Amino acid sequence: MSESPQLTYTEIDRTVLDTLSPPSGGYWLIVMVLILGVLAGVACWVYQIFIGIGAGGQNIPVAWGTYLINFVFWVGIAHSGTLISAILYLFRAGWRNPIARAAETMTVFAVSIAGLFPFIHLGRVWVVYYMLPYPNQRYLWPNFQSPLVFDMVAISTYLTVSTLFWYTGMLPDLAVVRDRATGFRRKVFTVISLGWTGKHEQWRHYTRGYLFFAALATPLVISVHSVVSWDFALGIVPGWHSTIFAPYFVAGAIHSGLAMVLTLLIPLRKLFHYERIVTMRILEAVAKTIIFTGLIVGYAYTVEYFLAWYSHNGVEMEAFRWRALGDYSLEFWIMVVCNSIIPLLFFFKKIRTSIPWLFGISILINIGMWYERFVIIIGGVAHGFIPHAWGLYWPSGIEWGIMIGSFSLFFLFFVLFVKHLPSISMTEMKETLDHGGGHGN
Amino acid sequence: MDRRTFLKIAGVSGLSFAASCTSQPEKTLYSLVQAPDDMVIGKANWYASTCRECPAGCGVLAKNREGRTIKVEGNPLHPINRGRLCMRGQAALQGIYNPDRIKTPLLKEAGKWRPVTYAEAEAILQAKAEAAMRNGNGRVRMLTEVVGESLLNLASQSLENWDSKGPVIFEPFAYEALKEANSQVFGVDGLPSYKMDQADFLVSFGADFLETWLSPVEYARKFKDMHGLRGQNKSLYFHVSPYQSLTGANADFWFSCNPDSEHFIALGLLREGIRHGNGRSLPEKDLTAIDTVSSPYTREKVFELSGLPPELFDKLYIHLQLARKPLILGTSTSATGANSLQTNIAVNLLNLVFDPDLELIDFSNRHRVETADRRSTVLEFLTGLKSGAADLLLLNNVNPAFALPPGSGVREALERDSLFVVSFSNFMDETTELADLVLPVCLPLEAWDEYAGKTGIVSTLQPTMGSLTGAPNIGDVLLRAAFGPQRPVKNFQAYLFAQLTLKDVVRGKRDWLQVLQKGGLFQSRKQEGGLRGSLSDTYQSTMAAPPTPKENHLVFFAVPSIRFFDGRGANRPWLCEVPDTLTQVAWQTPVLMHPETLAARGLKQGDIVQVESRWGQLQMPVYETVGVHSKAAVVAIGQGHTSFGRYASGKGANPISLLSPELEPESGGPFFAAGPIALKKTGRSIKLAHTDGSRTQHERKISLSVQLEDLVHPEHHEAHGLGMWEFPLVLPLPEAYDRETRDIYPPHQHVDYRWAMVVDMDKCIGCSACAAACYAENNVGVTGEERVVEGREMAWLQIQRYLDPEQREKTTFLPMLCQHCDNAPCESVCPVFAPHHSKEGINNQIYNRCIGTRFCSQDCPYKVRRFNWFAWEWPEPLNLQLNPEVTVRTKGVMEKCSFCIQRIKDAHNTAKNEGRKILDGEIQPACLQTCPTGVFTFGNLMDEQSEVRKKVQDQRAYQVMGYLNTKPAVIYLKKVVQDI
Repeated sequence: MSESPQLTYTEIDRTVLDTLSPPSGGYWLIVMVLILGVLAGVACWVYQIFIGIGAGGQNIPVAWGTYLINFVFWVGIAHSGTLISAILYLFRAGWRNPIARAAETMTVFAVSIAGLFPFIHLGRVWVVYYMLPYPNQRYLWPNFQSPLVFDMVAISTYLTVSTLFWYTGMLPDLAVVRDRATGFRRKVFTVISLGWTGKHEQWRHYTRGYLFFAALATPLVISVHSVVSWDFALGIVPGWHSTIFAPYFVAGAIHSGLAMVLTLLIPLRKLFHYERIVTMRILEAVAKTIIFTGLIVGYAYTVEYFLAWYSHNGVEMEAFRWRALGDYSLEFWIMVVCNSIIPLLFFFKKIRTSIPWLFGISILINIGMWYERFVIIIGGVAHGFIPHAWGLYWPSGIEWGIMIGSFSLFFLFFVLFVKHLPSISMTEMKETLDHGGGHGN
Repeated sequence: MDRRTFLKIAGVSGLSFAASCTSQPEKTLYSLVQAPDDMVIGKANWYASTCRECPAGCGVLAKNREGRTIKVEGNPLHPINRGRLCMRGQAALQGIYNPDRIKTPLLKEAGKWRPVTYAEAEAILQAKAEAAMRNGNGRVRMLTEVVGESLLNLASQSLENWDSKGPVIFEPFAYEALKEANSQVFGVDGLPSYKMDQADFLVSFGADFLETWLSPVEYARKFKDMHGLRGQNKSLYFHVSPYQSLTGANADFWFSCNPDSEHFIALGLLREGIRHGNGRSLPEKDLTAIDTVSSPYTREKVFELSGLPPELFDKLYIHLQLARKPLILGTSTSATGANSLQTNIAVNLLNLVFDPDLELIDFSNRHRVETADRRSTVLEFLTGLKSGAADLLLLNNVNPAFALPPGSGVREALERDSLFVVSFSNFMDETTELADLVLPVCLPLEAWDEYAGKTGIVSTLQPTMGSLTGAPNIGDVLLRAAFGPQRPVKNFQAYLFAQLTLKDVVRGKRDWLQVLQKGGLFQSRKQEGGLRGSLSDTYQSTMAAPPTPKENHLVFFAVPSIRFFDGRGANRPWLCEVPDTLTQVAWQTPVLMHPETLAARGLKQGDIVQVESRWGQLQMPVYETVGVHSKAAVVAIGQGHTSFGRYASGKGANPISLLSPELEPESGGPFFAAGPIALKKTGRSIKLAHTDGSRTQHERKISLSVQLEDLVHPEHHEAHGLGMWEFPLVLPLPEAYDRETRDIYPPHQHVDYRWAMVVDMDKCIGCSACAAACYAENNVGVTGEERVVEGREMAWLQIQRYLDPEQREKTTFLPMLCQHCDNAPCESVCPVFAPHHSKEGINNQIYNRCIGTRFCSQDCPYKVRRFNWFAWEWPEPLNLQLNPEVTVRTKGVMEKCSFCIQRIKDAHNTAKNEGRKILDGEIQPACLQTCPTGVFTFGNLMDEQSEVRKKVQDQRAYQVMGYLNTKPAVIYLKKVVQDI
């Protein structure tokens, strides 16, 4: 590690390209473990397809379980990636540059995994193509009034745009790798760098294109999770049917995404010696943003209660009373404490500059955000309109298996990514070097 | 072709289906090249028969499609049930198609069963009977359930032919106390029927006439004729008992009293009645006698003995005194406790004092179950067997090993080596297990027979389908075994014909066919019934020293179950799956106790408690309810079988095992109560398989009631607003859309019809017959105990029971089914249009379009949609019962009530063929068809003259959570309640 106070182009290149050196045995062990986790999830899903969705814990009234919790959770995770890479890019927030690549990657993988869950959730996944709008002999046409169709459109758009954005941003870096690589690897990178030579013309197109992409992706950050929230808000279920849902979900998504960025970057920074690139100042900036999103989320929790009281609607009031004091009160308080109380600790400089604290709190926020989805998705219908039908839900072993599979798949993708593609944008680091964006202090 | 030929052919096709029980089912569907004249593929044949699931004897019509009976419905011509049926009647089908039905005779050899042929079995029976005859007189005995007169005659003749006495008739519920009381007061050792419909005030001292008592379907109808709203009037019904049965929950007031103390209340009422000058027209001698027995029971004394506060006693008395035609009923089906006889005597005397002409007691139409022998006779019989009084015992559809308390000596009697026991049962129940030969005979829906539930009528049974197992009729078995080739008639059918001709019921073959087609001969042949002047007074000694309740100890009550009766229904999956209405618990047998009782012992609902009496012990989960007295613990009889097939064996608990084998000396009846009992915590608890989430409705405008005196005040029809209580009744019709205030989307336009249903909650008694009928009609899956615990029961229609939050003993029943909303929340959220709004307004669920997102269920405020979490199983041959008109749903799709769309379509076809519109009342969904009290009305809302359209004008009409503006097509009429 260089002792120089100022990063140089060479140092950036060296640090980042070092990460692509052939991995150790420990790495492959981790990959194997993650593959096993994925296989376990796949096995659970196959079992569920054969047995029926009853392999999970869903019932009437709670017909949606962890599959949709995980769906919303992963879509939420996916949000901060685009926030960081697109919105902060447009705002010219220099501190985003070192973490943008990792965050974007997280977005792409998280959306992919989120996209799996609606399939896992379906009672008859083998006829999922009934949802596709194409002329067919079944005379079937999807119901565009259904939030699930909005969802399908929103998620697939988001996946497409975020993937393209990620790939576009990576092109110059891929060329750098190609230039230093040999053998088979060189061939692969030659293909995927799409003939990047660094000509002035290419740079001009690239920067313009990246800007347009950023502008295009920005509304998606807002829209996708708004659409996801309408899965709930457009239903008449007490606790769901609320206009606050879209901003509330978007803030929650960014909250969870930022936490996941910390969860991923802190080990990465340690393992790949990124301390001088991903500086404490950057982590601090993320932590400060988390305070902000945490406050929005806390505000949303409060407003929901206020509105329930203000509506004077007995059904709504009971739903929210029960949420805090009923069968799922533990989950509710995990949600409140982890999402809106604990992040306030970041107000203390000591805490937001301490790696263990940052890491620990980011994990807690991830847990809290998972439980937020649990509280909303399960809690709403479990205690709905008709008291006779009230019931409880707990995830089954199969559901846990699938959930483990999904986490394994996400981390598997990420682990493969960090050793095979540049996990920090060398281009953007170099761009901002002179503006102080890459300074170590 | 005559009917017999047809039935032979139907039988053959039935047999070919039956072949699938043992081998791989045929993969090919055949249509008959030469079908019988009256068999049209796709068209049902209906056969009139008689239900034999309990001794009431309701008339049924069995629907036969392509050779197999797929549904039973009440016979509208039958005077007992008038076209209605209870849930046990609906489930009779699951006896025929039960997967655990014995398919061939079994002979026990060295403790193991060996299948033999029917011919071999009958030969063994004949040989054993002849061997027994050689040993002397009376060596062949028979224990049978209550059977029709013809079969009883044949059994007696057969036994006589074997030099033996006639059969002993065993019914677990034989009403000994009631019969003895009738004998001691009215001089009639029998069970008269009651003209409940003509009463204007009804008191029951425990009689559970809506569940099992004498003839529940008949009395449910008569009860609502009396208790239902007529214009602005409604009669009162009071229930006096230490626990609230379903019948008690239907009372306007439940007078809870100490266990074993009902008779004091009745005597107290007698005393007041005589003091106020009632019964003056009775002979002086009788009045004095009544006065003598009742005079000690002042209201204070009654309070001291029964715990009934004097002010409540006064209310009870005042209403009795004010009534013009009061009717007082005695104790429950399982005449509980030590005081049953005294209670029934006091009740009879009350009827006599308040209605000296006994106009409401019909001595000429008596219930057939009165022919059952008293328990004392049955126990003597068993003692005789134990001492070796017989060599051959025939058992016809009785299960004493289950239904008698341990210590009654059933096992000892039946296991005696020298006794050869032949069971005619179709199921390996506890008694049949002890038999030496099982010779299954065909079940009532497959048999020729005759059974009159009441005197004065004749009700016939005919095979409604071919025999599935090839089992013979018991009559034929007896004829062949007892009379051999020289038998007087060639078969039981001919015997039946001869018997009915003898009684002048049938006059020739043509007449016979007509009788069969109608299901019997129902004109009541009026018999001598008046009993004035022939009163008996033997009751005086019985009443001299009535039993007083024991000190403060807990009394255990074993009560009959509306679902399982005496336990014979426990192997029918529908009956297990449809929850008990009051507890909403399915599949399990909880012990019901008062919250105070539980709190005192540190118990809570779901804890498994060990109940110990002097005679046995039993572990059961606890259910908390204010519907039982704090000194009582109540358990339903029926489950807890140790054998009896996969649905019964090992499920629940059998409370009879806690009861005393001793008898009440005077009536010779058993005790269905035991005390004192001890409760021991086991430290374990289970999740009850209950289908309700909350017992109250949280003021959400779900299950509404109205005070009788408030009926004149208009309410919802005049409401204008958007709040929960101001929201008006909005019919699911275009004119109910108001784009200005509450609607965004345009209305649905309907073509000719807009189907709707009116549910009159004032009539609903919570019997769940509708729910069982729905399972039968719509191929609804049975999920099992574990799945019910998980919340995955599939009922399309359920009786929701809501307790009043202030007075939790007050209950309303709400039949909840798909509301077929005009503004259905489920329709808009489905991505593939699987819930589809039909042009006749029905919310159709298109199964093959459904991909299983379950969004519709999430968004349904009524939570009436059901999801196929698994592929439900119909173990063969239960699958043969499936209605061919209704799709069997696969795993992963949503389903729900369809308003019996198949019946609507059928009506459409008929109407089209006849070139007319569908008539009002022509369509009867299965729930409506079977409802004993006529809760449901179904019809076209667009027809201004239709019954539903008229009923929605009722002041009581409202929509469940109508304020959601879903515009439900199921419109409820509030229950009418009266404060006393």
